[in-house]
Formats: sequence, C-alpha cells, structure tokens
Amino acid sequence: MLPSFVDFTMRTRLVAGPGLVRELATELAGYERVLVISDAQLVKLGLVREVTEPLEAAGVDVVGVFSDVPPNSEVEVVMAGAGFARARQYDALVAVGGGSVIDTAKAINMVVATGQHLLDLQGLGVLDEPLGTLVAIPTTAGTGSEVTSHAVIKDAGTSAKLTFTSPHLAPDLAVIDPVMTRDLPPKLAASTGMDALTHAVEAYLSTNANPFTDALALEATRLIAQNFRRAVRERDEESRYGMLVASSLAGAAFNVALVGCVHAMAHACGGLYDVPHGVANAILLPWGLEFNREVAAERVDELGRAFGVEDGRQFIEAVSSLAAEGGLPTRLSEVGVPREGLEAVAEAAAVDGAVFTNPREAGAEDLLKLLERAF
Amino acid sequence: MGVFKDAAELYECIGGLFRRGAEHPEMGPKIRASKLIIKFQYTNPEAQLTIDAKNPPPEGMYFNVIEGENDLQADVTMSMEADVAHKFWFGKLNLVMALNRGMMRAKGPIAAILKLLPSIKPAYELYPQYLREIGKEDKIMG
Ligand SMILES: [Fe+2]
Repeated sequence: MLPSFVDFTMRTRLVAGPGLVRELATELAGYERVLVISDAQLVKLGLVREVTEPLEAAGVDVVGVFSDVPPNSEVEVVMAGAGFARARQYDALVAVGGGSVIDTAKAINMVVATGQHLLDLQGLGVLDEPLGTLVAIPTTAGTGSEVTSHAVIKDAGTSAKLTFTSPHLAPDLAVIDPVMTRDLPPKLAASTGMDALTHAVEAYLSTNANPFTDALALEATRLIAQNFRRAVRERDEESRYGMLVASSLAGAAFNVALVGCVHAMAHACGGLYDVPHGVANAILLPWGLEFNREVAAERVDELGRAFGVEDGRQFIEAVSSLAAEGGLPTRLSEVGVPREGLEAVAEAAAVDGAVFTNPREAGAEDLLKLLERAF
Repeated sequence: MGVFKDAAELYECIGGLFRRGAEHPEMGPKIRASKLIIKFQYTNPEAQLTIDAKNPPPEGMYFNVIEGENDLQADVTMSMEADVAHKFWFGKLNLVMALNRGMMRAKGPIAAILKLLPSIKPAYELYPQYLREIGKEDKIMG
C-alpha cells in the first residue's frame, strides 16, 4: 500500500566515476578559489593532493587546507575552522574525508554564513537562507554524509553529541571516486561498510519510509552484498566503487526515512563508551533485525532477497557473518561496554531521536534485552 | 480561521493543558527534572507560552506556565502555527513529517526535547478530556 503522503528530497548533485576527482574543475566551472577541509592523515596519504593538484592545474586557486579535523569532530574544531575560513577569500568549500570531516565542513559553512556561534545553531529548521557552496568528496564508504542534511558534532565540554539538521546543510555536490578510498584500512572499510548497510536496512524498515527511499535502500543492500567482502579483502577499485555508490544510496535513503533502534543503541554506546559508530552498528544490527522482524517480517524478507539470500532469517545470519568476516568484534563485551553499563545505554537509547522511527515501539526495557543478547 | 479565535482562547485551551500537566503526578516530575525553559511561539493567533522548569514553581505545581512575552532565556524554542500545536496535543501529528516540512521549527538542543516525548504521552488523553471539561467539545479532533 502506498503511503497517503510522500516527501522525498535529495538536494545534492552527485557525480560518480573512477578518477573523477581529477575533473573537479569542470564541475566547479565559474569558481576561482576553493578552501579545503580535511584531516592530517589524508594530507599525509596524498589524498588531498589528488584533489588539489588537478584543480590548481586547471587554474583554480586552493587558498588553504584546514586539516585539523579529528575522528569525532568537536565544536572548538568547527569554530577554529570557521576562523581559518573567514581569514581567506574563497567561493567554495571542498570537504575531503570521512563523516567527521564532511560534518565539520557543513558546520563551518553554517557558522561562516550566519556569523553565529555553532552552539546557537542547534535545532531543526533554524537556517532561513542557503549557505555557501559545499563540495563533499568521501574517503570512506559509510556515513553517507555527502548527501545528507545532518551534521553531528561533539561538545567536548559536556561530551554530548550535538545534531544539526537543515536542508541547507546538504552539500551542493558530491564527488564519488574510488581513488579516494584506495588507502582505507580493512577494519575501517568493514566498520564503515556495516554503517552503510545499517543505514539501508533501518531506512527500509523505518516508519518514515516511502517508495523512493525503499528503492534506494534495496539497491544499496544489493550492492553491499556484492562488494563488501572484496572491498575489505582485495580492495580492488571496482568493489570500492560499489561500496561508495551503495553508501551514498543508503545516505539518500536515510536522509529522508531516518533510522531506527540500532542507531539509537549505537549512538548511546558511542556517547557513553566511545564505541566506534560502525562497530556498534555491526554488533547490534542482527539483534535489531530480530526484534523488528516481529512486526516487519515481509520487509526483512525483502531485504534478504536484495542481499541475495532466501528470506529474513537467512539475512540476519548473513549480516552477522559479514561483520565477522570483516574482522569486526561481534559482542559489546569486546568493545569496552561493561555489563553494568547496559542499563544506562538502554536508557539513553530509549530517548535517542533515532528510536522514534523504529517500526516496533522500543522502550528502555526492550532495548536492554537486545543489549544483553548482544553483550 | 484556525482553531483558536484569539490568544486568550489559546491560553485557555493549550495553556490550561500545560497547567494541568504541571500538576500531573506523572508528567509534572519528569518535566521538572529536565530543568529546561521551553518557549512555544505560536502564529494564527500570535501567542506565546513558556514552560519554566528551571525556576521554583508555584505551590502545588511541578513547573511554571507563563502566558505571553517574557525575558526568560529559553533553552529550546519551538515555533509553529497554533493549529499544528492543537493537533500535536491530540497525539495526531506525525512529528517527523511536521519537522521535515517546516511546519514546526525547533531552536536549541533538540535531543533534550526528544527525551521528553515519551513522558508527555498522558497529555494526549488529557487534552480532549480537559477541553470537554471547559465546554470546548467543538475543538476535539475525532
Ligand atoms: Fe550511521
């Protein structure tokens, strides 16, 4: 049955292809000065140069590279980046990195355009005007941030994760190029890949899903089934390309459909015990699927078929073995969550925004049971 | 015309619901515990309600409910049409959709507000009950 109301947006123009970063100048015709946001590791690996050299050869000035973004970006980093940006003349921001870098660039873009402190920009629908031009070039196949209108930044003072949501936050252009994931370490490829799969699965099962997000989520699931193992082990260009495309598809799906209880629990594990986002999702996804299958059996079957197995039951098994084959931990006890901490994780997850679009109502008690099984 | 003919009627209905909430044995303490100041900015009619769970409440209540403009520094400000708010308090509004479509705007740490959502559920039953009590059955949504 079709929903009585459908709302779908993808604001970001997306281009994808092996070697495409070399042609960024073509995409940026009319722009003369760009400022790059990235991290130190990517500068060291020469991945930032993959982007800047061809730009400069084409006559575009790279007026600065802000490379101080840490793995989980913080308010202070954003404000420093905004200061760095204000001191330079540029007409486009180019983010080269994973989710943390892209989210930081979104936040810098917002602070520079509004002249406000980042802490005063929290909320939903706080931006009235479009921001400056933002290009996102992902170097992990996971977060989907290159096509979403969300940003997550940590407040180091309170260690709270602040969320920013506005259609204006979405990058104007995403450039998907497997050259940019050539140095992705296998563990990171696996954990970010499991994050992408979790986006696809939870978007498909979300109470806010619609036919447009369904199509994206199923194709993302299919591509992940085909490419995950190779992208982690052989790391060939074709499979890395497949994972990048899958990650953006899943990003576009959950940008609208939102996510569910697996993300709610993963956010809580990350906030309380610093469990990396993708790792937490990988551990919790099978249990979340099991829980939601009670009310969404057909949809879980459908995901299984997209994944290339027969039904939902096989899908849950396939998801567990995929994470294990990727070399990821499969238990919360292995990643620094103490048993006596599970209750606090459940309490935090029960009031996390993500839980509100879960297909089955999930209170703290339900979540605690899932966490205990995943322990 | 919208559901409420003027600010006074909105204060009587939604403001009244908030005051009931402030006395409610389940909702009251949970909102009190949040220590938040939440401002609701309404349009059609133009009106403003503030829930102040930071400063000491009046006798018999768990938090303050303030009608109209004031100088309190809000933690979170929610803006919406009065009709959207009316629908919300019947538990009949798809919050995600309303936020996506810009029918509701929230300024401030929204996680703090989302945390309160499960605890305000009794209000969805309280609202029609209260409207009936004050002779405003015509406003009850089926
Ligand atoms: Fe995620």
